[in-house]
Amino acid sequence: MTNLETQIIALIWTVVKIVCIVLPLMICVAYLTYAERKVIGYMQLRIGPNRVGWFGLLQPIADAVKLLHKEIIQPTLSNHYLFAVAPILSIAPALAAWAVIPFMPNVVLADINAGVLYLFAMSSIGVYGILIAGWASNSKYPMFSAMRSAAQTISYEIAMGFAFVGVLLAAGSMNLQTIVLAQQGGIWHWYALPLFPLFIVYWISGVAETNRAPFDVAEGESEIVAGFHVEYSGMPFGIFFLAEYANMILISTITSLLFLGGWLSPFEHIPLLGKLTSFIPGIVWLLAKIAFLLFVYLWMRATFPRFRYDQIMRLGWKFLIPVALVWLCLVAVAVVVKFPPWFN
Amino acid sequence: MLNAFPTTLVVFYAFAALLIASAFMVILSRHPVQSALYLVLAFFASAALWIMMQAEFLGLILILVYVGAVMTLFLFVVMTIPMHTIPIDKTRLLYIGYGSLVLVLFLGVMAKIIHPLNHIVFQLNNFQAPGISGATAIGESLYTTYVFPFEIAGFLLLVAIIAAISLSWKTDRRKIINDVSAQVNVKAKDRLKIVKMKAEKPQQDSTEPVQHD
Amino acid sequence: MTGYLSAYFSILVFIGIGIVVGLVPILAGHLIGKKKPNPIKDSAYECGFPAFENARLPFDVRFYLVAILFILFDLETAFLFPWAVTLRTTKIAGLVAMAIFVGVLVLGFIYEWRKGALEWE
Repeated sequence: MTNLETQIIALIWTVVKIVCIVLPLMICVAYLTYAERKVIGYMQLRIGPNRVGWFGLLQPIADAVKLLHKEIIQPTLSNHYLFAVAPILSIAPALAAWAVIPFMPNVVLADINAGVLYLFAMSSIGVYGILIAGWASNSKYPMFSAMRSAAQTISYEIAMGFAFVGVLLAAGSMNLQTIVLAQQGGIWHWYALPLFPLFIVYWISGVAETNRAPFDVAEGESEIVAGFHVEYSGMPFGIFFLAEYANMILISTITSLLFLGGWLSPFEHIPLLGKLTSFIPGIVWLLAKIAFLLFVYLWMRATFPRFRYDQIMRLGWKFLIPVALVWLCLVAVAVVVKFPPWFN
Repeated sequence: MLNAFPTTLVVFYAFAALLIASAFMVILSRHPVQSALYLVLAFFASAALWIMMQAEFLGLILILVYVGAVMTLFLFVVMTIPMHTIPIDKTRLLYIGYGSLVLVLFLGVMAKIIHPLNHIVFQLNNFQAPGISGATAIGESLYTTYVFPFEIAGFLLLVAIIAAISLSWKTDRRKIINDVSAQVNVKAKDRLKIVKMKAEKPQQDSTEPVQHD
Repeated sequence: MTGYLSAYFSILVFIGIGIVVGLVPILAGHLIGKKKPNPIKDSAYECGFPAFENARLPFDVRFYLVAILFILFDLETAFLFPWAVTLRTTKIAGLVAMAIFVGVLVLGFIYEWRKGALEWE
C-alpha cells in the first residue's frame, strides 16, 4: 500500500502530464484558426489576417481577448441551466479523448486495452453538447440545426464504427500502441494501403462528425444563420469553437494513428533514406501527418460546395456503410487465411 | 508517514452516490428533458462503476450504446414535444403501487443473489488488474461456445429493424425525393436544346420604328 | 493502485480538467465582459422578427427512424468489436458465426433500403 505523499505526487504528476497535453493542444487550436484563415485566404487569392503582429500571427490571441470582453447573452426564454452547461459538455469529451492517444512508444497518459473503444465512446458523447445547446436556446434555428446535426452525426458514426472494426481486425488489438506497432515494417505496411476504402470511409465520416465543410449543414450560414450556437455569444461561443477545432485535431490524430502508422517514419526499411532520417524522433512524423490531414480539412472547406442534407444522408447510409461492410468481409477473410504480406 | 488515502474506495462511493442520486432525479425531476439527462448521468456513473470492477469493455459499451445511442433517441423524442411540466394528479398514486411491487420483486432477486450461501464475495479494496482483456474473453467465448444465443440476438436485431420501419414509415408519403445520381449524371443536352436558325431580319417596308412601351 | 485502475483514474482526472477548461473561460467572460441586458437583445433570434411560434416543433418521423436504426447498427458494431480482436484465435468458427450475424442484419439493411427509409427529400 502506498502512502499519502506518493499518492499526492502521483496525482500531481498526472495533472502535469495532462497540462502537457492540453496546453499545446490549445495553442494548436488557436493557430489552426489562423492557419485556416490564411490557407483559405491564399486559396481564394486573398491574404488573410495580416494586421495583428508579424504576418498576423497574433490574430488568434486578439480573437480570444475580444471574445473575453464580449457580453454573454442569456436569452430570456432559454433553459438557463442547460444553456450554460452545453458548451462544457461539448469541450469535455473532445479533450478527454486525448487521454488514450499515444504520441511515441510508451508516451501515453492512459495506456488502456480498450483504447479504440474509448475513443469511439467519447466521439459518440460529442453529440450531447450540440443537442442540448440547440434545445436549451428555445429558438428555432438552433433547434433545427441540433436535429440536423445529431441525425448526421449518428448516421456517420455507423460507418466510422465499421472502419474502426477493420483496423481492429488487421491489428488484432484495441490498444492504440499495439495498432501503431502492428504497422511497422515500411510505409507499405501502413493500414492506409490494405484498408484503403476504410481509410477513406473513416476520413469522410470524421469530417462529417466534426460538422465541417462540406458537411456543415449544422451551421449552414445561408439557411439557418449559424446553427446550434446562434444564441451564444462571447466566451460560451468561443468554447464551442474550441471544441470543434479540438475535434478536428483529434480526428486527424486518430486517422494518423490508425491508418498512417502514427509515429512511424515513412522511410522505414527504405535503403539509404531510412538510415539518413532515422535520427528524427517519432513525434515529428506524427505531427507532420496530423498537420497534413488538418491541411486536407482546410483544403476541403475551400474546395467543395456544401452538400445538401439528402445528399449527406445518402452518402452516409447508401455509400459509406455498404463500402465499409464489403471491405470488412474481405479483411476478415484475409485475416483468417493469413493473406500476405499484411495479415500473416 | 501519513496513511494512504483510499482513492479507489472514495471514487467508487462517489460514483455510487452519483448513480443513486441521479436515478432519484430521473424520477423526481418534473421536466422530461432534465429527466432524460439525469438518466444519461446515471448511465455514465454505472459505466464508471463497471470499469472499476474491471468490466472495461462492458463499461465502455454501456457508454457507447446507451449514452451514445439510446439516450440520443430519447432526447430526440422529449426535446420535440412541447415543453411543460407534468402536474401531480391522483392517477400517479396508481404508479406508486405498481412501482413498489416491482421494487419488492427486485429486492427479492437481489437478496437471493447477494445471499452468503451463493459465495459471491464483494471485495471493494481488492481490485486487481485483469489478466485478460474483457473484450478478448467475450470474443473467445461468444463466437464459439455461445454462438446460438449470439445468432438469436442477430435475428432479434433484424426483427427490430423491420418493426421500426414498418411502424413508423409510410411509403405513400409525398414524393419529392431527389434521385441524386440522376441529378449528378445529367448532361447539358438533356436539359438544353440549341436550335440553329437564321437571324430574323426586320421587314423592308415597315418604315415606322418599333414602339417600345 | 494497479496499472489498470490508475490508467482509468488519469482518464477521470482528464475529464475533470476538460470540464475546468470549459468552465474557466466562461467564468472569466462573465467577469470581464460587460452586462447590459435588454429585452430585445435577450429574445430569441429570428432574423429580426419577434418569435411567433414555440420553438419545440414536432419533427419529421425520419429523424426518429434514423435514431432507432442507429441504435441497432451501433449494437451490431458493439458485437463486431470483440469479434475483430479475437478473430485470430476463433478463426473459421468466428468467421462463420459473424457471417451469419452480419448476413441477417444485411437483410434488414436491404429491407430498409428497398422500403425507402433511407431516402431524404
